Amino acid sequence: MPTDNSFATIDQAAWEDLVARFDGRMWAVARAFGLSAADAADAVQGAWLRLVENADAIRDPGRIGAWLVTTTRREAARLSRRARGEVAADLDVPDTALPDPTAAVVDADFGRQVWRRLDLLGEPCRSLIRLYVLHPEARYAQIAVRLDLPVGSIGPTRARCMARLRALVEEEAR
Amino acid sequence: MREEYLLAALRMGAGADPVPEGVSAAARAVFGLRVPGGVPAAPVDVAVPPGARSADGTAQSGVRRFSADGLVIDVETTVSGGRMEVAGQVSPAPGPDTRIEVRTPHIGKVRVPSGSGHFAVAGLPPGWVSVVCHRPGHAPVFTRWIHVRS
Repeated sequence: MPTDNSFATIDQAAWEDLVARFDGRMWAVARAFGLSAADAADAVQGAWLRLVENADAIRDPGRIGAWLVTTTRREAARLSRRARGEVAADLDVPDTALPDPTAAVVDADFGRQVWRRLDLLGEPCRSLIRLYVLHPEARYAQIAVRLDLPVGSIGPTRARCMARLRALVEEEAR
Repeated sequence: MREEYLLAALRMGAGADPVPEGVSAAARAVFGLRVPGGVPAAPVDVAVPPGARSADGTAQSGVRRFSADGLVIDVETTVSGGRMEVAGQVSPAPGPDTRIEVRTPHIGKVRVPSGSGHFAVAGLPPGWVSVVCHRPGHAPVFTRWIHVRS
């Protein structure tokens, strides 16, 4: 990959290296929005297309990974809003100079650390998050049956459990 | 820390829901969609854009306008029967050797615009689409990619 301001001249091999390094992270972020496989594929492809159309604006190749993850999140959020019938601006692209620095946590090694933190949570958080993470297509009704919880409580409980997990991870990072 | 990032990291850490090969292949293929030397046309916010399909300039909804290098490209997309139609207009009126290329990640079609700059392409797969205007003596001008679903 180029190390100076020459990202616009990237060759096919360097591009494929970028794909190999980041497409798994981009996919995981798109799916984390609850998108179907087809919509997640569109969100990921959209982020790569944004990179192509913004190649001349990339001044720091070291930030491309964070920029791709940030752009995928925006494309996924837009598709998610549209799937819910909401109006979604379709041309919003993150500033090439200001990718979200927290995107760096989208990483398998970090994920394994979070799994260890998850074990510190009690039930039903531990089982609920485990089900939610390992079965992306699972509906709240299915999770409710598995955990013997009211289906109406799954969404709020999941949000509360994720907030607790996030707090644990952030506390660890301080 | 965003919840989506945390969830994504958890899935990656567990090896759950890996990226499908088709998604990776599509990402690799995007490299071929670059427009070397091309000028990106930025979206222009217009409340009531002129009709992309009508010669009399009747205002229509759903038209996106892009502009760069002294060129304006209006693009209107519709989906019917599972296929996408892209119609539009370039202005000012193009010269005789101007070509309009309407591209999806899978297929590109080239049209000679009318004297008033109108063009149309039908039968495309819905999804991402971009329009490139090739003018002799000028760098190609390409619109941002837009996402179209029925």
